[in-house]
This record gives sequence, C-alpha cells and structure tokens, in this order.
Amino acid sequence: MHPPIALAVPVIAVVVVFVAFCLTDLARGARPRYLPTWVWALLICCWIPWGGLGYLFFGRAGRRGTSPDTLAPVPAAGPPMPRAVFTAGPARRAPAGIELDRLTKHYGRVAALDGLSVTIRPGAVTGFLGPNGAGKTTTMRLILGLDIPTGGTALVGGRRYQEIFRPLHEVGSLLDATAVDRGRTAWFHLLALARSNGIGQRRVREVLELTGLAAVANRRAGEFSLGMKQRLGIAAALLGDPGVLLLDEPVNGLDAEGVRWIRQLLASLAAEGRTVLVSSHLMSEMSMIADHLVIIGRGRLLADVPAGDFIAGARQDVLVKSPRASELAALLTTRGATVRPDGGGVAVAGLNAPDIGDLALAHGIAIHELVPRHASLEDAYLDLTSDSTDYQAKAMPAGRAGVP
Amino acid sequence: MTAPDVSGARRLPAQALEAAAGEWTKLRSARSNRWTVLISVLVTLAITTVVAETVASAPAGRRQPIDPVAGSFLGYAEYAVLPITVLGVLVFTSEYGSGLIRTTFAAVPRKRVVLAAKTCVAGLAALAVGELLAFACFFLTQAILSAHHGGLSVGQPGVAGAVLAAGLVLAACAVAGVAAGAIIRHTAGAIGAAVTVVYLLAALCLLLPSPWATRLGRFTMPFAAYQLISLHRQAGLLSPALSLLVLLAWPALALLAAAIVVTRRDA
Repeated sequence: MHPPIALAVPVIAVVVVFVAFCLTDLARGARPRYLPTWVWALLICCWIPWGGLGYLFFGRAGRRGTSPDTLAPVPAAGPPMPRAVFTAGPARRAPAGIELDRLTKHYGRVAALDGLSVTIRPGAVTGFLGPNGAGKTTTMRLILGLDIPTGGTALVGGRRYQEIFRPLHEVGSLLDATAVDRGRTAWFHLLALARSNGIGQRRVREVLELTGLAAVANRRAGEFSLGMKQRLGIAAALLGDPGVLLLDEPVNGLDAEGVRWIRQLLASLAAEGRTVLVSSHLMSEMSMIADHLVIIGRGRLLADVPAGDFIAGARQDVLVKSPRASELAALLTTRGATVRPDGGGVAVAGLNAPDIGDLALAHGIAIHELVPRHASLEDAYLDLTSDSTDYQAKAMPAGRAGVP
Repeated sequence: MTAPDVSGARRLPAQALEAAAGEWTKLRSARSNRWTVLISVLVTLAITTVVAETVASAPAGRRQPIDPVAGSFLGYAEYAVLPITVLGVLVFTSEYGSGLIRTTFAAVPRKRVVLAAKTCVAGLAALAVGELLAFACFFLTQAILSAHHGGLSVGQPGVAGAVLAAGLVLAACAVAGVAAGAIIRHTAGAIGAAVTVVYLLAALCLLLPSPWATRLGRFTMPFAAYQLISLHRQAGLLSPALSLLVLLAWPALALLAAAIVVTRRDA
C-alpha cells in the first residue's frame, strides 16, 4: 500500500467517527460531547503509521534504493550505452507520432504560434529549430497540455495529452532542466514523479544508472551543475520508457562527452521506433543530432525537410583565385554563371569546379586556387531564418558609437 | 512497464491515488518540511508549558476567565498555525517558483487532480500533526495544572471533542494555505493572503468597538476555532455547529476558487 493511503485510512476513520459523534449530539440539540474509549484506541492507532512503524518502514523503503552498496556500480568507461538498459525490445508498441494542426497561441496581442501544422513521425530524431522567441517552447508546452491553445489542436498518438492515463509511459519530456526543488535529492525527485505514474523504484534506479547519476542520487539537486541537471531531466523523461520524447534544449550545459552521449542515446531511441523531438536554437548542434528538421520562425513553419535535403538545397559556389580574375569573370558570366568578388578572388555560382578549370585552361588563364564550397547547415539555416528573427543585432553606425 | 491503453476518464480514481502517492513522496522528501514541523511542535510545546505554569502559579482568585480546555491551546495559534499554514502555501508556490510545476502537470495532466492530491496530502499530514500536538498540549497543560489545583480529565464530557477540534483547526489552516498558493502562485503574496484568512482578519476584528468585534469576528476562522476548542459554549459567538461550518467554509471556498482558476491558466 502506498504511504499516503496507509496514513489516510486510520485518519479518515477517526475523522468520520468524530464528525458522526458531533452530528448525533447536534441532532439532539446538544453541544458535541463525549467520545467513548474505543475511539481513543482508534485514535492512538492512527499515530502508528505516522510517527512509528509505518514511517520507519516507508522511510527505509525509500532509502534502500539509494544506499551506495545496493546500487549497481557505475561502469568505469563513462555513461553506459543505452541499448543495454531498455529491457523491452524495439517495435513493441504502435509507433505514436505528434500531429499539430493549425496550432495557435496568442499572448495578449502577440502571436507566439500562428497556425503551425506539422507532423512529427516516429523512428527519427526530429530537430526543432528556430531563433529565440520563434515559439519552440510554446509548442512543446501546448503539446503537453500545460498551456491552453488559442486555436488548433496538438495530438500525441492521436489523442490530446490530457486524456492519457499515466502519461509518462507514453511521452517523456524535458522542458527546463533547472526546474528542480533545490532541497530534494535526485532520487526523491525522480521517485515522486515515478510514483505519480505508478512506476516502481527499480525503474528509478535504472534511469539513474542510464544517465550516469547513480553515484550522486543522494545529493540535493540544487547542488548539481547545469550538465548534471540536464542528465536528471533526461532521466525523468525516460522514467516511463515512453514512445515519444520531447526535449527542449537538452544539450545546453553539457560537456563534449555529454553531447556525444546524448547524440548516441537519441539515435538509439529513434532506432527503436520512438518519436524524438529535440529543440535547439543552434543549428551546429542539430546538424550532428537530427535526421529530420522542422524549422519555425515567428510562430510559422519555415521548413519541414530531411536534414540531408536541407543541406543539398542550400547554396553552393566555387571560390576561384587567378591573376587574371576580371578576364576570367567576364568569360564565366557569358557561360551563365553569376560571379561576385569574394576575398582575394571571385565566388562563382552556377558552374562546378571542373567546368571552371577546363574553361580557364582552354583560354590559357592560370588558376591559383579553385575551392568548391558547400554552405554549412548553419549558413542555410541563417539564410532561412534571417527574416524572422525577433531579436536581431543591429550593426552600430560607424563613428557614432558612444555619442549621445 | 508499458501502461495499458485506457482512456484517462475511466481511470480517475487510480490517477488521483497515484498523484497523491507522488505528492506524499515530495512532502516527506523536502528536508525543510520536516524541520518546519519539528520546530513548530517543539516551540508550541515549550510555549504551552510556560503558559500553563503561569496560569497554575497565579492565585486562584486572579486567574484569567478563560475556558479550561481552550486554555491548553494558547501556545498553538502563533507557533503551530502559522508554520503549518506556510507549509501548505509552499506546496504550490515552491513549484511555481522553480518551474517544477510544469513537470508535475506533465506527469499528471489533469490540473484539478494535482490540486486534490496536494490538498489531501498536506491536509492529512497537518491533521495528523495537529491531533498529535493538540493532545500533547492538552495533557501537558492538565498535568501541570493538576499538580496545583487539579486539572481536567479527557474523559469528562465535551473535553475529547474540543481537543480533537483543535487538531482539525491545523488541517483547515493547511488547506487554506494550499488553496491560497494555488491561486496566487507567488510565495510572498500567497503567505500574506493565507495568514490574513487564518489569523489577521480576526485580529482586525478585535480592534472594532465592543459589539462589532464578535459580531463580525465570529465569521473568521480563529473565532470559530475558539468556539470549537472551548469546553463551555462561548456567548456571542456562533453555535459549535455553525462555527465548524465557518472553520471549514473558508478553506472550502478557497479550494473552489483554486479549482476554477487552475484549469483556466497556463502553467
């Protein structure tokens, strides 16, 4: 029996008896008076679970899990690989995706989300990108039913989140890693969450080991570094072994090893057929993690593409350096290429490097450098979102800085 | 490990019990809660001893005209009611302050279930502490008094009910605190509101001129509580039954307001 029930039963019994006595006295027109001896006995019994045996029992049950000698030792070589921990095999459930349909959220007159419709599919790590203030966190809160949408729907596995019984078993989420009670240990932070969804202590130990926190389970979460809090948040998200994961900026504060660990973890979770949605405002992080990209700006969908296609569609050019650059540029322009000066040479778009080299050779023009350049994922992302950035830095007008 | 795919609507009782289990784990694992309870119990007992000694050593003719049972609880008002009320407030405001409330609502997405679970757990814990403390105060006072002039026995008519009611007062205050925390969400403001309801309103009423002090004051929680914990019926106050109603109505109305606003707001 859960502690609150063990505590509640005798207390409720006493209260019921007390109220019954009061009411019978009141019905006779008298002031509530006498209580017989057996009520006394019952009353004394009700303190036993509170201050005595019950508390000791449950207290020990709570501590048993975290005493260092009963915890499995942390593997020496860094955090363990995730596949060893998930006991159930892949594809054991119907894959659940996330469907957003014209999702809209206004804060006052500001539209944080403006009719966002997108489907997040299982089996891939989906990177959720956008500049600061684009609406990423708002979207996640709406999916989790924390905020009330102004319009539209967000469905997880075909249902509203609020309708899910024991939601941690279906959707694991990490919204803000610093949102922990500073005075509570990691163990009890996770145990309280687990209890609220009918999850046992064994699973709490499992996720602590999975995230490499087993050794610090008895330390207060307030003492944790940001990286450790991120691991604690990921542990909480994995408690129910969910088919859908929503992680808001999980890489913040992690060291290089932590980033690699989370990349492998997310990839293995997606490979098991889970839906993984990871938000970030940094493309450089996403380029290493995500298989699929959903990019939003100012609450609107900008792109919903596989990560590979996104980079393939981005601009490419060739940097050419030549002592007779202007002559070569004129020649290239006649062949349909666009040419612009770039550094010590010219950037040529519309022709590939072998064609440029052949053309130069045919006209006897020496070439000192010929560098094909792919825009990085980050460049492509910045090109896409530059129009929809809320807080764009303005270039300071030259010569006027500091003058009132 | 995977939950059966059952709609939440039909599993409400199970969800509520599990939410309560989670809240109980939170309540007992915050170290500040344990210290708050322990210190308020110890201080209350100490003040009760001092009060009882003062009363006992006073000459029989000059003793305060105070109710013999209610006299056991003079140390109770400040030193037990206020810390327990604050503890109730912090159940919500500490989570709103840290952002943990979003994790809580993500784990139990029905916000009213969370409200009910937090209320039940904090209320029952306060009831347990309250009854323990009420009987401890009563026996302590009567033991000291009986050494001098002979105290009351708990078996005498009306005594046990009054002492039990003293424990109930603490639970009512804790629930009022939880509701204030859920409505206001900020610790300082919620403590202000809760302390106003459980304490300050009555103190303000006492400042009013003679007939109005009790005429208005009897509708506040402390006056109602005083009627309930007295052995003899106090003139000018509401009847014990109505006083019980007043004592429970304040936290009940606050809870109702909390239940209405909690589902209408973004977490």
